[in-house]
Amino acid sequence: MSCQLSLPDEGLSRKILGRVSYKDRLPAGRLKPPVGIIPGDVRSLPELDQFLSPDAASLPGINLKALSEWIGGVIGDRELADSVQKIVNASVSYVDDCVKIYEVVGYRLDQARKIVKETM
Amino acid sequence: MANHGYTGKILRLDMTHRKATAIETAPYRRWGGGHGMGASLFWDFCKDKTITDGRHPANVCCVMTSPLCGTIVPSAGGRCEVVGVGVGQYPISWFTRSSFGGRFSTMLKYAGWDGIVIEGRADSPVWIDIRDGHVIFHDAENLWGKDTWATQLDIRKLLRIKGGTKTHWQDLQALALSEKDESRGEDFGRTTQKPAILCIGPAGENQTCHAALIHDAGNGAGQGGFGAVWGSKNLKAISVLGTGGIKAHDPKALLQARMITKEKYVTSWETPDFGAWTRLGRLPNPIIQVPPPTSERRPQSCQGCINGCRARYNVGYGNESACQETSWYGPFVRKVAKTSAENTEINLKAADIVQRYGFNSFVFQTGLHWLEHLYEDGVLGPGRKIPSHLPWETIGTLDFAEKLVQALSTRTDIGADMADGWVQAALKWGREEDLHTGALQFSYWGVPEHGYDPRAELEWGYGSLMGDRDTNTHCFNYIFTNVSAAFAFGKPLRIRAEELVNLHAKKLSPYAKGRPEVLDYSDANMYSEAVAQIVRWQQHYCRFYKNSALYCDLKWPDFINTNLPDLEGATASPDAGEHVFWNAVTGDTLTFEDGIEIGRRIWNLDNAIWVLQGRHRDMVHFAPYIYKTKYNKGELFPFYMWPCRDDKGQWRYTDLMGRSMDKDKFEEWKTTFYRLEGWDTKTGWPKRSTLEKMDMGFVADALQAAGRLGEEES
Repeated sequence: MSCQLSLPDEGLSRKILGRVSYKDRLPAGRLKPPVGIIPGDVRSLPELDQFLSPDAASLPGINLKALSEWIGGVIGDRELADSVQKIVNASVSYVDDCVKIYEVVGYRLDQARKIVKETM
Repeated sequence: MANHGYTGKILRLDMTHRKATAIETAPYRRWGGGHGMGASLFWDFCKDKTITDGRHPANVCCVMTSPLCGTIVPSAGGRCEVVGVGVGQYPISWFTRSSFGGRFSTMLKYAGWDGIVIEGRADSPVWIDIRDGHVIFHDAENLWGKDTWATQLDIRKLLRIKGGTKTHWQDLQALALSEKDESRGEDFGRTTQKPAILCIGPAGENQTCHAALIHDAGNGAGQGGFGAVWGSKNLKAISVLGTGGIKAHDPKALLQARMITKEKYVTSWETPDFGAWTRLGRLPNPIIQVPPPTSERRPQSCQGCINGCRARYNVGYGNESACQETSWYGPFVRKVAKTSAENTEINLKAADIVQRYGFNSFVFQTGLHWLEHLYEDGVLGPGRKIPSHLPWETIGTLDFAEKLVQALSTRTDIGADMADGWVQAALKWGREEDLHTGALQFSYWGVPEHGYDPRAELEWGYGSLMGDRDTNTHCFNYIFTNVSAAFAFGKPLRIRAEELVNLHAKKLSPYAKGRPEVLDYSDANMYSEAVAQIVRWQQHYCRFYKNSALYCDLKWPDFINTNLPDLEGATASPDAGEHVFWNAVTGDTLTFEDGIEIGRRIWNLDNAIWVLQGRHRDMVHFAPYIYKTKYNKGELFPFYMWPCRDDKGQWRYTDLMGRSMDKDKFEEWKTTFYRLEGWDTKTGWPKRSTLEKMDMGFVADALQAAGRLGEEES
């Protein structure tokens, strides 16, 4: 998948790599047969990246509409939020959406890490 | 009477007097084995059935095999059932059960014992050394304080068992013996096997509610707090070596049914269907909840299993752990892990920690989120209302995992308040409100919601509540996981909703045969007589086939099976059904329905014990949040798909999230359930007429003497 996101500035990059407060967390469960749906949450995009990492034994559980709002409103990355929303709007399947979002989030994290490293 | 499948003897351990005696199995034969036999032994040997804490010296703990243990019956030969009054439930710790896999039950049978009854309390720590018919009490002062792995290694050293993986013949008499042992010089057998050891770790020694019994690296009896029961009896471990065998009534029929299972019901090795909808017919696959640490692994399973669910890895951690213990820490690990490999490593090493401490990590499934919530809200931590000096800011690290498990295993830090139960701790801390809001999701009897929320997965929730613990019975929940996964991937459904329920209904004899509506969990049907029938069927099926015959919960029942053209699974089938194996081993002539009826009898005996302990229908209710809040739709998973009928009567897979339970309607459902069971609908107590029809008049007598017999309807 080719991701087209403009390079974030240093301030946004730090937000992208940062962690939000507990009250701003986003609920995120996981379906793990035979254990069931395990509760959890995410508090950062690096954590979201781990959470969405494809895994043959389980499925991530997350409200994708709320995810877009959380990325835009809480993390503060409007461009990434729009990108996620576009994926959801063109949904093929929930899992397919998760894989695409995983890729775009990973791409965004790479961008942010590069920027932060360059400015160190 | 021939003892086909049975050894004919049960070992009775009097811990108080350090005395071992044998009792006959024959009088208990009508209860099958496992749970049924254990409940009956408890009934006979527990002198005070009003006790409500398993650490009471009157408690009797039974560790039971089944006739199928140690045989080649597919996914049934290696389970072992533990019963007795538990520890840590709320408001009462019921007579309860747990089970574990591995090779302990097999070895116990090879040693000539159908089970072990543990009574009394030793005045100092002991471990028990069983070698065939010889039973030796050893002082365990030097083992006390050691974790479960060190304990097992030390016992092997004490027995002078040769190490390594090479096969050695070992003469049981040549192994180290107690000086007091009077059986020296008698005939012992010899074996190439290592002893099977069941033991407790620090959590059990400190008698905490989280304490499990652990065997080998990762087989554990977690629920029920039986590790605390053993700790209270000063019992550190039981080691068993057996050199005998098990007589099957009809070996040819047994082998034939096993071959049919392999050739007909299990997916082909040549053209494997990895997405098959079946429970019995899948290929071996470790059910660890993280990506495997390496591809260099060996499958590992219980005795006789045809599709092992665990593995051993060349990296040396996570061996034999599976399922919940490999995921208890997952939501927190990803907050600190930099890579997927690191995530796997921390999770599997966290699994090793709970195995070594003999700690049941199930409480963490929802409980650790609650503790984190209390910490983040400023309630728990250094100098706060709930004092804790654990490094909560490092949650997710391996160091924190060990410190947390250590505290809860040794009654230190918050572990001091939590040792008697999590709901008890919540009340002590003034956090009752958390049971109303759902911040603490312990849904029934003071134990955590399992991941199959009672507001959606009705047979799981209702069954747990009508029973004694989180049911952990996976008879039907694969419907949700298979169907929801298909929806998530956007893949075609293997079986349409109507066909799926009809296939199930074919096998739900006797109560629900031909009644697909029992699986309709729609809003309109969730409090119906039909749903009461599916709960009854599940409880009775499990009490015999799973908990007593000891068929593995993860493989049986096999209702549907897409490996076959007609989609019908092995359950109840005339060629490889559960009863077919039972009859081949024991020589009985049970029908599938006969097994369900034995299960009903066992279920009624259990209920009678609960009633003697103090149960009344008024206390049979979910935690308040189940009634007051909705199962948060879309938050933790996008949907909870289940077959339901729509308003036109058409079957569709429907999302069950977003609803709460109506308390009044659930009370009406309870009345229906009690009526169907033949129990007093006002109290939930068994009626004499019901018990006598099952030849259980002696139970009615005891209930009557206690003033707790249900009233007959006029």
